[in-house]
Amino acid sequence: MMNDPQFVEVEGVHFSRGEKEIFRGVDLQIPRGKITAIMGPSGSGKTTLLKLIGGQLYPDAGRVRIDGHDVHRLPRRELFRLRRRMGMLFQSGALFSDLSVFENVAFPLRVHTDLPEAMVRDVVLMKLEAVGLRGARNLMPSELSGGMLRRVALARAVALDPELILYDEPFVGQDPISMGVLVELIKKVNQALGLTAVVVSHDIKETLSIADYVYVISDGRVMAHGTPANLDVDRDPRVSQFIHGEPDGPVPFHYPAPDYYSDILDERVGR
Amino acid sequence: MKRSKMMEFGVGLFMLAGILGLVFLGLRVSGLGSGVASDTFTLQADFANIGGLKPRSRVTMAGVQIGQVTAVELEKEWFDARVTMELDAELEGELSRDTTAAILTSGLLGEQYVGLTVGGDPETLKDGDTIHDTQQALVLEELIQQFVSNMVND
Amino acid sequence: MNKRRVTALGSATLDMIEALGRAGMFLFQASVGLPTRSGFHLWLRQMHFIGVMSLAIVLVSGLFIGMVLGLQGYTILVDFGAEDALGQMVALSLLRELAPVVAALLFAGRAGSALTAEIGLMKATEQLTSMEMIGVDPLRRVVAPRLWAGFVSLPLLTIGFSVVGIWGGYLVGVEWLGVFEGSYWSNMQGSVDFIEDIGNGLVKSLVFALVVTWIAVFQGYDLIPTSEGISRATTRTVVYSSLAVLGLDFVLTTLMFGEL
Repeated sequence: MMNDPQFVEVEGVHFSRGEKEIFRGVDLQIPRGKITAIMGPSGSGKTTLLKLIGGQLYPDAGRVRIDGHDVHRLPRRELFRLRRRMGMLFQSGALFSDLSVFENVAFPLRVHTDLPEAMVRDVVLMKLEAVGLRGARNLMPSELSGGMLRRVALARAVALDPELILYDEPFVGQDPISMGVLVELIKKVNQALGLTAVVVSHDIKETLSIADYVYVISDGRVMAHGTPANLDVDRDPRVSQFIHGEPDGPVPFHYPAPDYYSDILDERVGR
Repeated sequence: MKRSKMMEFGVGLFMLAGILGLVFLGLRVSGLGSGVASDTFTLQADFANIGGLKPRSRVTMAGVQIGQVTAVELEKEWFDARVTMELDAELEGELSRDTTAAILTSGLLGEQYVGLTVGGDPETLKDGDTIHDTQQALVLEELIQQFVSNMVND
Repeated sequence: MNKRRVTALGSATLDMIEALGRAGMFLFQASVGLPTRSGFHLWLRQMHFIGVMSLAIVLVSGLFIGMVLGLQGYTILVDFGAEDALGQMVALSLLRELAPVVAALLFAGRAGSALTAEIGLMKATEQLTSMEMIGVDPLRRVVAPRLWAGFVSLPLLTIGFSVVGIWGGYLVGVEWLGVFEGSYWSNMQGSVDFIEDIGNGLVKSLVFALVVTWIAVFQGYDLIPTSEGISRATTRTVVYSSLAVLGLDFVLTTLMFGEL
């Protein structure tokens, strides 16, 4: 079981929120030690998928296994123990606003280990150095820019040296420089620590540049998967529309609406 | 770290102030301990009717508070009300044996209290003694009833 | 048409029962668990934020209410020549009713709404989720210290309110209007019972503290994490806790003082 090449397996997951069906049978295999990207248009439930993997949401059907453990069958304590082996980088950074940068990174260490204060300090400074923010340790999260927030959050996510790290939209809303910094960091962290990474994103260029394997999700299903090189030449018009960012195609530009001409006429008649 | 020390100090002050406030309410407002703290001696008095007298009502002499009522119960022999009072220990052996006790009302609607008046007997009252000469409470309804029946008789 | 209304009523009732169940489980999960050293520090911080920061508004309100009671009480009592009973009136109305109720209402407005907004913001910025992912239960770490701090703070604030109010009544009644000082205090001491009046007032404020803090943290934890959701939940906290305080006050008063 330990040498299973797949670290995370998602099998036939169905999930709906209220009336809205978000997943209709999603299957994913996330290989150990690689960066796997999950891509798809906004609103396709990518973040929801991460929450399902992290055990924060429960699927209506299907199951998620991490290193052989069925996440949603674990008792609460076991689930929390499993989560210690995972790190997650949130879209907004999600730093604790009442703690300084240093304390934010130290948080997981203080909670889960009994390291002496000097050791905690060493580990925190090491992690902060890796993201280039050792000098910002005494700042509060409200004093940081968006890119810096995410870098601190990354330092916090890897503070316990996790085996799996989940990135939720790491590139959204970043200027080109901090985007480049983040891309480099994610790549570097992965190589240095040899961990398994899942990147959820719709920033195609950046994601394809770091991913080893890509899943494209649309309409609650996996639409396509393959290596970045394979996907780039995929003939499926839906895949090619997404990968090459064409505004209109099988995924329509327009929200479903009645015929434009008759709609306008209708309104005139109606008034 | 300095800020967190300030905060701890503030919270400590807050809780201390709350406890002191409770002590103030207990001692000054509800009068806990005002009768108990000093030395006292006990007297009893039987009244035909005590009206609205309650435990912790005042006991006065010449308008000065000298103690309080500690218990009110029914005495089974004559079916009188037996009132137990705690008085200032300084007065033990000072009050004459024929001291009278009356139940008085402060103001028209005020609370009822016991008023003591000394007599001339050289013998004095001691702890646990009973005052025999008592005057019952004025009950407004009875007064009116007497007044009306007098009118009718006339 | 009628059928639809019945259906809507039924589903609204079910929703309400479900929310009540969620709130109950929430309270249970947040309040169980042994106190720890770091938990004590978190509690202390919330005591500062919830209790100490509400002190000023509660004390100032208490002073004014006590002064108004002194003035109004005097004008009514003086007609019966019973202005000596002013101390009794001020103390009893404060201890039994005004201090627990008004302090709880102020607390809901000052601390309750802030608690809802704070927890809601933590939810909206995914801080609660990330805490869960780090393997820390936010119910223990975020909610429990706030719940306990509220539970301890409000009774202390209520005591402060009473003390300052009685002093305010004294200022107006004795210092200004000339009620005899001795009768202000002795009348008060003759009529206020420690268990019956002060004790029951404190029991009331403990109940209000639990209800107000519970509503506030639950509304924060259960809200829809958008800016509109936060503002709505904050309003709901103030409205629900005010109604709960006033309604419960009637029930508690009936139980405590009803047979008098």
